[in-house]
Amino acid sequence: MLSILELERKVVKTNLCTNCGACQGMCPYWKSYEGRTFVDYECDRAEGRCKYFCPRMPADLDSLMKKFFEEKDITSELGPVKGLYLTRAADPQIRAKAQHGGTMTALVELALAEGFIDAAVLSKAEGTLDPEGQLITDPADVRACSGSSFQIPPTMAVLNEALKENEYKKIGVVGTPCKTLSAYKMMAKPFEDNDNNADNIGMVFGLFCGWGLDWKGMEAFGDAGHADILPSKFHRMDLDDRQVDLDDVLPLVRENCNYCYDMTAEFADLSVGGARSSEGWDTDKGWNQLIVRSEKGQKLVELAREKGILEFREFGDDSAKAAAMDKLKKASASKKSKAVQALIEKDGTLGYLEPSKEIFAEYIK
Amino acid sequence: MTTKNEPGKTYLMQGNEAIVRGALEGGIHFASSYPGSPSSQVLGMLGHIAEDMGFRAEWSTNETTALQSCMGASFANGRSICIVKQNGLLVQSDAIHCGALGGIKGGLVIISSDDPDSHSSTNEFDSRHLAISANIPMLEPASVQETKDMIPYALQLSEELEQMVLVRVTTRICHGRGGVELGELPEKRPFTPIGEWDRMVGINWLHGFLLEKLEWAREAFEKSEFNHYNGLDKAKKLIITGGTGMKYTLDAIEDIGIEGEVGVLSLGTLWPLPEKLILERLKDAEKVLVVEEVDPFLEEHIAAIAGKNKVNIEIYGRNDIIPQVGELNPEVVTKALKEFVGIQDAKASDAVCGGEGCPAAEGLTIPERELTFCAGCPHRASFFILKQALRREGNHGVVMGDIGCYTMAGQRAGQYGYHFMSCMGSGISAAEGLGQLTNYGFNQPVVSLCGDSTFFHTVVPGLINAKMNDANILHIVLDNSATAMTGFQPHPGTGETAMGHETEKISIKALCESLGCRVWTADPFDVEETTQLITDLIRTKGLKVLILQQPCATLAAKTRAKKKVWVDTDKCRGENCGCDRYCSRVWGCPGNIWDFEKNCAAIDEVVCVGCGVCAKICPAGAIQVEEPEDAEGKGGSK
Repeated sequence: MLSILELERKVVKTNLCTNCGACQGMCPYWKSYEGRTFVDYECDRAEGRCKYFCPRMPADLDSLMKKFFEEKDITSELGPVKGLYLTRAADPQIRAKAQHGGTMTALVELALAEGFIDAAVLSKAEGTLDPEGQLITDPADVRACSGSSFQIPPTMAVLNEALKENEYKKIGVVGTPCKTLSAYKMMAKPFEDNDNNADNIGMVFGLFCGWGLDWKGMEAFGDAGHADILPSKFHRMDLDDRQVDLDDVLPLVRENCNYCYDMTAEFADLSVGGARSSEGWDTDKGWNQLIVRSEKGQKLVELAREKGILEFREFGDDSAKAAAMDKLKKASASKKSKAVQALIEKDGTLGYLEPSKEIFAEYIK
Repeated sequence: MTTKNEPGKTYLMQGNEAIVRGALEGGIHFASSYPGSPSSQVLGMLGHIAEDMGFRAEWSTNETTALQSCMGASFANGRSICIVKQNGLLVQSDAIHCGALGGIKGGLVIISSDDPDSHSSTNEFDSRHLAISANIPMLEPASVQETKDMIPYALQLSEELEQMVLVRVTTRICHGRGGVELGELPEKRPFTPIGEWDRMVGINWLHGFLLEKLEWAREAFEKSEFNHYNGLDKAKKLIITGGTGMKYTLDAIEDIGIEGEVGVLSLGTLWPLPEKLILERLKDAEKVLVVEEVDPFLEEHIAAIAGKNKVNIEIYGRNDIIPQVGELNPEVVTKALKEFVGIQDAKASDAVCGGEGCPAAEGLTIPERELTFCAGCPHRASFFILKQALRREGNHGVVMGDIGCYTMAGQRAGQYGYHFMSCMGSGISAAEGLGQLTNYGFNQPVVSLCGDSTFFHTVVPGLINAKMNDANILHIVLDNSATAMTGFQPHPGTGETAMGHETEKISIKALCESLGCRVWTADPFDVEETTQLITDLIRTKGLKVLILQQPCATLAAKTRAKKKVWVDTDKCRGENCGCDRYCSRVWGCPGNIWDFEKNCAAIDEVVCVGCGVCAKICPAGAIQVEEPEDAEGKGGSK
């Protein structure tokens, strides 16, 4: 089957597509508009990078992970973990606009300034509407991309275009779990002689993600400068000062997110999410939890500590840290179970996780 | 085409030229037409000579206005001809029926050119049925000479009967060539004043008189020199032909060598049929083969004549041994004749054009080629961006096409760009109806299309209908400032008449706005901007008119300095993932070719007109466009 048809049939038409953009930016055939990925014209190649880069095409995720991460660090629930931290940006100006504690914004700024990366592909939303991927090279531009739109713009298309240009040799990319997985599929280089310069991916920064929201549906809520989902007991989304009942938001969750097994962006040098420690929301508000997964990630976080870019909050004692880790694992395992269940209900198999079914066996109910 | 008065002198002429010459020898005062192949050239030629020859020639907005203009000229005893194609004849059918009922004064001849095999049409409708329906006499020439001779005869007959006369011609007559012996050019006849009580009124109490005129015509046709008989007298195997059937048949008889076995009655007066003449030949025959273009018209009426007169005879033709569909050709007629006379042919089943038994095709494999837009055609860009805009919609929309060059967009040239195509002017009206359903649960954007000439032809009433009924559609006018399909005839938007005079251009935009329509204009060569505009417009409720303006590439190539376009072979990604021959395979302009030796895209410099749109869509930025250096770099002269 033609590559483009296979991808369209297995991923797009089955509503598995996340609109991450991994298939785009390399050729004239795959496009995205308002959160929807589609084909303009048919390519007649049997083998294309699009289907190998897509995070929702079947792949052996266990082997892929072992190829890039130390086996000793790999956990079932959270992927590779070298360390778990509670952090926030030291700069209050970052925290004022960014999500939670602004850890990601601070780390990307630092990575650019210190040469860990020479460009960064980020998602930018003017308010909460119409987010888009952006390539930036000046650390001063990072802050404009902070905050979350809770939608999935095709950021990886911008990465692909930047890789294609071959101007920057250490590009950092920030993305949700679907996007970071695609980055590692790119780095695995399915076509050795036509790899779109995948070696130029310098670092991968993962964002925790529960789900993304429908593009058009979000328009109904109007624009907002800042959006946040509160811990589950609050059951609400805040859009600036407006409080929206989560029941009004949940119908906008994209179907493909139900099939996502990954809450913490397991394929990444480091991953950042909202703090959910055992101390409760009053303490966690304005803080991130940060999972370091690779040595490169570790080095950046240590530098951030040395330079005072990040503030670190201790977990209290060891048991408190273990409790926080346990809470995170449970949340992550719950997402895996739900995804596995949704996939089985869809067509009786694990779908795109089928080649990795050994590592998902424990989540099948 | 000669305008000299040289009776008896012979010239080599194309059939369309013979029509013009015939009109001159018939002493016409007026000629009108809407262009349509295969007779498009006729009025163009008449327009060139009209000034010198002292008559009026004009392109009409559509075929109905064309015929009714002729009727006006006829009222003052002026002679006129109206040239249309088979569809045009149907467009003017109400005017023919009503006009026939009322009768005419000065001779009025309608020339309808049919296109068997639809070489340059969307159909191969047979004009002949309309003569029966409207009760008017009809002729069909069998040669270029007869074509010339029939026009003055038809004008004379028309005047005698006070009835319009239809002359049916076909592609091979219009585009074929033959020797034509000229007749005399008459003195121009003065007009007759229209008296206070003179009338041309089509009303039913003339119905009986209308039929009576036909009987007068039948009497004349029994003795007509346009009906011939060749071959064996009292033949048991009789072949009856109409139009081009005669020449195909005579050639085939000679080829097969059956001159002594068959007789050929070729008819030039097709309606009403000369029954006595036909019966005279039928009574000796045992079987008849009818050879004619398209429908079994003669075949069925001859069967009726035989039946009415109790002549027991076998009749063959389009209903059996000649294919029901498509044009006659030597292979088809030869095969039918052999079957008719009972000659066994080992390869009979293959002996059709292009088949194994066809000598010309032996050893040749000719690749199939679709019709396509010219290099640099703005329609290619228009359909390219329309498809992109519609693919952005999850439900991809519905496109209602129309008739013009852009009809080819139904194939690869236009990315299979429309879902609906019928007759001229149908797109907008069908879209109006479909678009209304969006108020009742139908949930796809509806887009209709037309060209600028078609806009004036029949789209305007559809647009008014859409406006009155508050249609929910996007109507796109593909304005290339030309009636390009048929050869750049003037239309109301071009500011020129058939006789080369200037006339005030009618603005499509101003006309639409005067109806209260919201109108946008854009350039299809601005690929990104126009794609976004179309995206926005199909999401806007109500009636929207978008005029995509970019002159026809063939016109532009004559007037614009040609840019040099070339491929940077280092940048071209060719067949690799990331391109897959996007320019030559998807964009599909004949100027974008594939260099099989270098495995790389290339530009055919001879074909390329330098529009540069392919450079905008090349994913690798490999196609380069160079502005012409100076005024000397300008392309061909006009």
